[in-house]
Amino acid sequence: MNIWKISLQNLKSKPLYTLLSILTLTLSFTLLLGVQQLKTSFKYQMDNNLGEIDLVVGAKGSPLQLVLASVLHLDSPTGNIRYEDALKLAKNPLIKSAVPISYGDNYKGFRIVGTTKAFLALYNSELQEGRHIKNTMEVVLGNSIAKRLDLNIGDTFLSSHGFMEHAIETHNETFTIVGILKPTQKVIDRLIVTNLESVWNVHTHEVELENELHHHEESIDKEHDHDQKGYNSKEITSLLLTSRKPSALLTLPRKINTQTNMQAILPKFELEKLNQYTGVGFNTLSWIAYFILVVSGITIFISLYKMITERSFDLALLRTYGASNVQLIKIVAYEGLIITLFAVILGITLTNLGLYYLLGTLEQNYQYAVLNHLAYKDILLTLKLVLIAVLLSILLAVYPILKMNISTILSHEK
Amino acid sequence: MLRTENLTFKYTQQLEALRFPDINLKTHENLLILGESGVGKTTLLHLLSGLLKPVTGKIFIQGVPINTLTQRKLDAFRGQEVGLVFQKSYAIKTLNVIENLSARLFFSKTTVNIEDINNLLNQLGLKDCKNNNINELSEGQLQRLAIALAVVHKPKVILADEPTSSLDDNNCKIVMELLVKQAKQTHAHLIVITHDHRVKPFFKNAITL
Repeated sequence: MNIWKISLQNLKSKPLYTLLSILTLTLSFTLLLGVQQLKTSFKYQMDNNLGEIDLVVGAKGSPLQLVLASVLHLDSPTGNIRYEDALKLAKNPLIKSAVPISYGDNYKGFRIVGTTKAFLALYNSELQEGRHIKNTMEVVLGNSIAKRLDLNIGDTFLSSHGFMEHAIETHNETFTIVGILKPTQKVIDRLIVTNLESVWNVHTHEVELENELHHHEESIDKEHDHDQKGYNSKEITSLLLTSRKPSALLTLPRKINTQTNMQAILPKFELEKLNQYTGVGFNTLSWIAYFILVVSGITIFISLYKMITERSFDLALLRTYGASNVQLIKIVAYEGLIITLFAVILGITLTNLGLYYLLGTLEQNYQYAVLNHLAYKDILLTLKLVLIAVLLSILLAVYPILKMNISTILSHEK
Repeated sequence: MLRTENLTFKYTQQLEALRFPDINLKTHENLLILGESGVGKTTLLHLLSGLLKPVTGKIFIQGVPINTLTQRKLDAFRGQEVGLVFQKSYAIKTLNVIENLSARLFFSKTTVNIEDINNLLNQLGLKDCKNNNINELSEGQLQRLAIALAVVHKPKVILADEPTSSLDDNNCKIVMELLVKQAKQTHAHLIVITHDHRVKPFFKNAITL
C-alpha cells in the first residue's frame, strides 16, 4: 500500500469526474502543444530555408509570391527574367554570391530546379551517395524524394510540364539520377536539382520542335545560329543573392526596382509579414487553449475539493491511522498528478496523430513537409504551463485539509 | 500503562470547562467509562487519543506524555500505539478489506507478517471477504472490520467509542468478547466509552462521568 494507490483508488471511485478532468486537460494540452508546434515549425521552415539569402530577384509581381516560389518552393513563380540581366546584376561588387534558379518542370509533383552548384551551398547540403552533376540532363535528388519514390542512382525519369503532379503533358528528354543528397530538414530535401542547361534543354527542344513543324526547310541550316540566339534569350525564374554588407540591402533593391523590369525583394521581410498574418490565427487558437486550460483547472479543483469535503471522514480516519497532514495533501496532489499524467500521454499521442494527419494533407497539396517532429522543448514548455494550472487547483483544493478538525469530524459523523 | 492527571477541556463556545477524573491503568488493565450523552465521553476519548489537546492536565501512555508531543510526533504516536473503534464502523470506502488493513499499516509505519493478518481475519470471521469492497459487507462484518483495523498494528491502547450501541444483544456480546480477546492478545489496554450498560460484565474497572 502506498499513497499513489490510495489516490488511484479515489480516482477510480469517481470515474465520470476523472474522465472529465482528463478530457478537458488533454484538450487544452493538445491545443497548446499543437499551436506551439505549428508555430515553431513555420518559423523553423522560414528561418532555415532562408539560409543566407538576403535578396531575391525575379519578375515583377507579388513579392510574397516570388519569395514563396523561390525560397520556400511553394507557390508558382511570378514569371521569368532574362539570364543576361541576372548575370549583369551578379557582377555588382556589393553582391557576394548569386544563385540562379530556373523552374518549369516536375517529376511526380516534385519540382525540378535548374541551378548552379552554389545552390547546394545555400542549404549546406552534401552528397549522401553518387556524384555531383557534370553533364546536362543529370540530376541529384533531395533525400525525401529518393526515399519516397524509391529512386536510386542510375535511374532515369521523364519530367512533366509545370508543377502539378498529374500533368498530362510529358517531355521526351530523360533525366538520369547521379547523386542523392543527405537529409537536411530543409526544402532541398524535396527538390530535384539539375543544372540550368538541362532545364533550358528541355524547353529549347520544345521550341525547336515547334520551329521544325512550322519552318521545316530552314531549320537545319539555322540550327547553330538558333542555339546562339537561344542562349542570349535564355531565361531563369529568379536569382538568389547574398550581399557583402547589410547596407547594400538598402540601396540595391531600390536600384533594381526602378532601373530594371525586375523586382528585388527582401525575403526576410516578406516572411516576417507572412508570419504576422498566420500569427493572428495561432494567437486565437492559443487563447482558446488557455481558456480550456482554465476550465480544466476548475474541473480538477472541483473534483478534488468535492473529494475532500465529502470524504472528510475518510481523511480524518487516515489521520487516526497515523497519517500526517502532508500525507493527506499528497493523496490529493497525486490525484491531480495522475490526471495530468494521463492527459499528457493522451495529449502527446493526439498531437502527434493530429499533426500527422495535417502533415499528410499538406504533403499532398504542396509536396512539402511543413512540420518537424514534436520538439522536446515545446513539450516541456507546455507541460510546465499545464502543471502550473494543476498545481494551482491542488493548492486551492487542499485548503480544507489544513483547516480540518479531526475531532469534530469524527464526533459529528455519528 | 495509561495515566491521566487533572484533565480539563473546554470547547470555545462552552462557558464551563469539562473536568475528567484521573485514570490510572496498570499493565493488562481495561477500563469502562460510562456516562449519559453530552457529559463529554467522546471528548475524553479524543483527549486520550491525542485528537484534542487538554486545557490543563497530563496524559501518559507507556510513560510518554502525549500532550507535549509535536503534531507530527503525535500523529505518528497515535498511528502506532492507539487503535480507535467508532460507533458507526468506518473504513475507507474506495479500498477493499485487505487494502484497508494495509493502508492502516502503511500510515502507522508498522509491518506485520501476513500470517498474523490472516489469523486476525480468521478470528473475526472476515477470511472470506478479504477482497470484498466495503459496500459489499454486512453491518456485522463492518463492525468486525473496524475492530480489525483498530488492532492489526498491535497498539498499546484500544479506544472504543460506543462500539455496541447500534447492535443487538447477541452481536453486542460477540463484539465485546472480540475486543477483550484482541486486547489481551496484543497486551493492550482496552478502554470502552459507552452509555450501554450491557457491556458492564466485561470489565472489572469502571468509572462514571
